[in-house]
Amino acid sequence: MAPSKAKPSAGEQRAIVALSDVHLTLTSTAGPVNILRGIDLNVMPGEHVGIVGPSGSGKSTLLAVIAGLERVSSGKVDVAGADLNGLSEDRLALWRRNHVGIVFQSFHLIPTMTALENVAVPLELAGAADAAGRAQAALAEVGLGHRQAHYPAQLSGGEQQRVALARAVAARPALLLVDEPTGNLDGGTGQAIIDLIFNEAGKLGSTLILITHDDKLAARCDRVLRIEDGRIIGDTGDRAAAGLQRRTAD
Amino acid sequence: MAAQFLSPPLSLRFSLRELRGGLRGFRLFVACLALGVAVIAGIGTLSAAIVASLEQNGRSLLGGDIEFRLVQRPADAAQQAFLRRRGRLSETVTMRAMAHAPNSDQRTLVELKAIDGAYPLYGELALEQPIALADALAPRDGVPGAVVDPQTLLRLAAKPGDPIELGDAMFEIRGVIAREPDKATQGLTLGPRVMIGLDALPATGLIKPGSLAYWHYRIGLPPGIAAAEVEAAAKADFAAVGWRIRTWRDGSPGIRRFLGRASLFLVLVGLTALLIGGVGVANAVHAHLDGKTTTIATLKSLGATTGFIFRVYLWQTLLLAAIGIVLGLVLGAALPNLAAGLLAAILPLPLVPGIYAAPLWLAAIYGLLVALAFAIWPLARAADIRPAALYRDLVARGRRWPRPPYVAATFLLFLALAGLAVLGAEERPFALFFVIGAVAAFLLFRAVAIGIALAARHVRPSRGGARLKLALASLHRPGAATSALLLSLGVSLTLLVAVALVEGNLQAQVQDRLPGDVPAFFFLDIQPDQRQALTDMVKATPGTHDLEIVPNLRGRITSIKGVPADRIDAAPDQRWVLQGDRGITFARDLPKGSSLIAGQWWPADYNGPPLVSIEARAARGLGLEVGDTLSVNVLGREIEATVANIRQLDWSSFGINYVLVFSPGLMERAPHTLLATVKADDAAAEAALFRSATQRFRNVSVVRIKDVLSELNAIIAKLGLAIRSAAGVTLIAGLLVLAGALAAEHRRRLREGAVLKALGATRRDILTAHLIEYGLIGLCGAVLAFLLGWAVAWAMTTHMMGSSFFFAPGRAALTALGGGAATLLLGLAGAWQALAAKPAPLLRAT
Repeated sequence: MAPSKAKPSAGEQRAIVALSDVHLTLTSTAGPVNILRGIDLNVMPGEHVGIVGPSGSGKSTLLAVIAGLERVSSGKVDVAGADLNGLSEDRLALWRRNHVGIVFQSFHLIPTMTALENVAVPLELAGAADAAGRAQAALAEVGLGHRQAHYPAQLSGGEQQRVALARAVAARPALLLVDEPTGNLDGGTGQAIIDLIFNEAGKLGSTLILITHDDKLAARCDRVLRIEDGRIIGDTGDRAAAGLQRRTAD
Repeated sequence: MAAQFLSPPLSLRFSLRELRGGLRGFRLFVACLALGVAVIAGIGTLSAAIVASLEQNGRSLLGGDIEFRLVQRPADAAQQAFLRRRGRLSETVTMRAMAHAPNSDQRTLVELKAIDGAYPLYGELALEQPIALADALAPRDGVPGAVVDPQTLLRLAAKPGDPIELGDAMFEIRGVIAREPDKATQGLTLGPRVMIGLDALPATGLIKPGSLAYWHYRIGLPPGIAAAEVEAAAKADFAAVGWRIRTWRDGSPGIRRFLGRASLFLVLVGLTALLIGGVGVANAVHAHLDGKTTTIATLKSLGATTGFIFRVYLWQTLLLAAIGIVLGLVLGAALPNLAAGLLAAILPLPLVPGIYAAPLWLAAIYGLLVALAFAIWPLARAADIRPAALYRDLVARGRRWPRPPYVAATFLLFLALAGLAVLGAEERPFALFFVIGAVAAFLLFRAVAIGIALAARHVRPSRGGARLKLALASLHRPGAATSALLLSLGVSLTLLVAVALVEGNLQAQVQDRLPGDVPAFFFLDIQPDQRQALTDMVKATPGTHDLEIVPNLRGRITSIKGVPADRIDAAPDQRWVLQGDRGITFARDLPKGSSLIAGQWWPADYNGPPLVSIEARAARGLGLEVGDTLSVNVLGREIEATVANIRQLDWSSFGINYVLVFSPGLMERAPHTLLATVKADDAAAEAALFRSATQRFRNVSVVRIKDVLSELNAIIAKLGLAIRSAAGVTLIAGLLVLAGALAAEHRRRLREGAVLKALGATRRDILTAHLIEYGLIGLCGAVLAFLLGWAVAWAMTTHMMGSSFFFAPGRAALTALGGGAATLLLGLAGAWQALAAKPAPLLRAT
């Protein structure tokens, strides 16, 4: 893996996410669309970061860039020790399976696989020895130990999101990326999912980057970034160190 | 490392999980493959069952373990002694003769066979009457017996017990032949069978010097003696006899040749169906993977590589291909066996039912190659789907080509298909012609489809309004079925048009050119001293004219430029020239209808060493040029001649054509008969000439050309039906692809129809748009198929059959237009549901 060239933001520790002057422009028939316009961002290991902003502001694209799902037009992207710009599609896939867990707003469970099989996918891809056993454990963690053999279509929205969460954390990733986790869920179910996410991220010591519309939800994070029109316009970075210290102390 | 982790079992496991969604979308994929594989496997199985029958019944088909055949003369005492020493010997003589039934006063040309008491050495000759063959032929009250084919009775209006006159002798019809064991190998027949005893033959007076009679000596070898040993001994002891030797293993080369050609053609037709089915395969894979974009992107976001995704869906394709191939193999292997009873009526020998591995393997390999060749492209493109597709469709799928290794793999697979088709065929030029034609047709139809889509995109119709714009948009939008429809229907229609034109052409040559150019009769076995009498008779018969008389001998090419004939690598279409006895002639002047293309014709008074004129295609096929030498065995004598010139002639003229025409001189002195043709103005003149000729010249066989032509027509019609049926399979394949393409579009059409209705479009608007869309595709496909089929038929007729091309567009045009109309109808049928659906539920669902 290419070494990260991002500057550490605090002490000796190196940032797990270091974006520098990131631009993303897509071409469409109506002309170029600037989605990200000069993003600079450092996230330290273990940090919980909430990203808020209106629809179309570029939140999900920023998450996709950090996950290596989207290539930037310019700028540096160093995540989990790798320069993502220098990796091919397949190297990115291999990198993701080792470092990143993603929970999508629309869950994106594979409809032809059971809950257990869905959770086992990243473990199997990574060649884990006991993929099924670890997937079972992950499902049990999210309270779905009894729904292993069910297909996504047989599960409620909340259950599907819990399967997606179990899938994201099953491989114990250093970086957990969560996109609008409650966007497709009712209030009560959403709250339960949120608790689970923070719980899992805390237990694993993973860095959590969470996208949400909900300011109250974002406030549960150590740090909140506000993004608008492809730019970061607000960063409560001062709270991060305190939050991190508090969890470390716990 | 990745390969180690993502070993095939994991991709296979994922693949099987993916298949839980069901195989509904793949029914047409399976059907397309199964159909093509079934045709190839079925043709191969049928052919193998016939070959097995040839081998199993080889001895009874040949009439012995080994046969020695001499033309125009019997074996001499030394030769007979040699044959007799080898085993049980049976001697038969076959020839053509005129039979006369005094009771009805009817005359007809028959295939006469005189048999000895040992006939048949193998198999059984079955009579309809409960009488032994020897008893049936034995003289009763001084009158020998004859047994006849049922057709003979019909033509002579005779019945068992009636007298029948052959040459100068009278016979009594004692029985009707139900089965003749060695009938299948007798080659071209001009009349039905009459069988008499060998002892009774001399009395007929039909055997005269130079008469076209064949003496067959068959031997039943004792156990432990191989036919090949006897053949070798005969060649060593009697090198210059000029007899044709066949063993029971190679006793039916004519049937094998025909079988080889017919099965090659039909296998290529099956391959066309398979290739058309390949378009359906590609469409099905494409449509399936289109619905998997999110799954693929999700798997990639979870760490799956492009190669892994490719393998997951490649496994699926292989599994489905295996289902299609196995289904096709089962059908293909079963059908000829199930239909054995029906086929027995039209085939000259019984089938040996069974499972034949070789044709099934071949069909399976073809099926697998086609499935992969057509599936890898869409598979590779799907594997390249980027995970960002989860966020936006814009970047989900470009119009990019797959990565180079996949493009190379596709190319290699098509190359392997072409290689298998060409290298596996005995007549490689024909197979190569097919491959080039198929590639050209696919490229042409693809190019035209792209052209239509481009035109539809750029045309800005000033009239026609929203309906026309809708139709044009449907023709060029991404994922439009235009290309698949044009390709599949276009190629199948091209084949059908070509078949219709070639068949129409053959029939036109046989039928439509009558009566002007074609003689009414061929007279065979005229003795030279009968020439004047025949000429006088024709002159005396009103309405008959253009008598043409040529000398006729039988000879076999034994060597060319000093190389023995059996070691010459002749072009496949000219091998027949070297096989067995051919008619040869000699002439002072260049025959009518011939033109020289090399060398010079000899002077009319030439009397030097033998020269020979050779027909152009034979010369090319045998590698002969002016100045080369060839040897011919005539009546046991080797004659070496120098090629003096090369002639071009029109085989379809029904004139007297010979491959080899010798200079007079030496040949003139060999015992020979004359062959004559004569034209007649009308049926009355024909009847009068037939009557006087058959009454006056009892040794002369009179062949009515009309009878031969109607036989030929019947054969062409039978072959045409078989070929059209096989070609019809390609149309079914085309319709399957069409149905698949329409099914893939169904949801889009439903949604589009609902939106259009919501926006105020009437059913008529939508129907008209569909009518324009499919009408344009159907019309373009039909017109192109007609033109391309015409070109293919022209090339086949002129280059491969070597005859002139008559344009008979009627059936071909109907075929093309019918196919085009089928496209339109199926397209509209597919659209019907879109018209009937209520918009609200669909709009809510989307």
